[in-house]
Amino acid sequence: MNNGFVIAAIAMLIGTIPCGIVVWRGQLMSAVVAYQAISSIIVMVLALLAEGFGRSAEFEFPVLLAVLLLGSGLVFVRFLERWL
Amino acid sequence: MSARDVLADVLLGIAVAIVLASSIGILVMRGPYRKVHYVTPAALVAPLFVGLAILAQSGLTGNTAEMCLALIFLGIAGPFLSHATMRAIRIRETGDWRPWAGERRAASGAEQAQDEGGVGERADEGAARERS
Repeated sequence: MNNGFVIAAIAMLIGTIPCGIVVWRGQLMSAVVAYQAISSIIVMVLALLAEGFGRSAEFEFPVLLAVLLLGSGLVFVRFLERWL
Repeated sequence: MSARDVLADVLLGIAVAIVLASSIGILVMRGPYRKVHYVTPAALVAPLFVGLAILAQSGLTGNTAEMCLALIFLGIAGPFLSHATMRAIRIRETGDWRPWAGERRAASGAEQAQDEGGVGERADEGAARERS
């Protein structure tokens, strides 16, 4: 186990707390912005944990989430424009 | 601890600092327009440092290649999502993303449009009226 990467992953997870507060308490579009930031942070956390625990197979998850981030985000935002 | 470990730790520290600062910015800033600006460092700059840290730690391996792939997708997604989010916010607020005529005058220094409240005529509508 590589401690530096795991500690960095935990520190980044702490960084999601302010964004979580905005998602929970903020207005709708502010919450969407915070959700996008959380998604990007989670991509890094997954990569850091895979490197930290030395599991190469789990590097698939950040790649997959990064791909889905674009599609899901655009669909979500598009619906929020007018219909939600 | 080798030089590679030190370099990786330094790069990770920078990435974590960027993420924490961006998160606090998203929490503190008022309004979604300002918050969007703080997503970009967390979505584009910090992953770059994480990728460099993985490169420094493990060299040119499959892990680094996959992180580069994730970086490419993040780099594509970030600007598109920021633009789409801004557009959605604008449409939810005013009903259309295009600037209206009074707003352009306000942007050039008058600032009276902010106090008028409602949505005025669109710039292209005003131009069409002027032509007729």
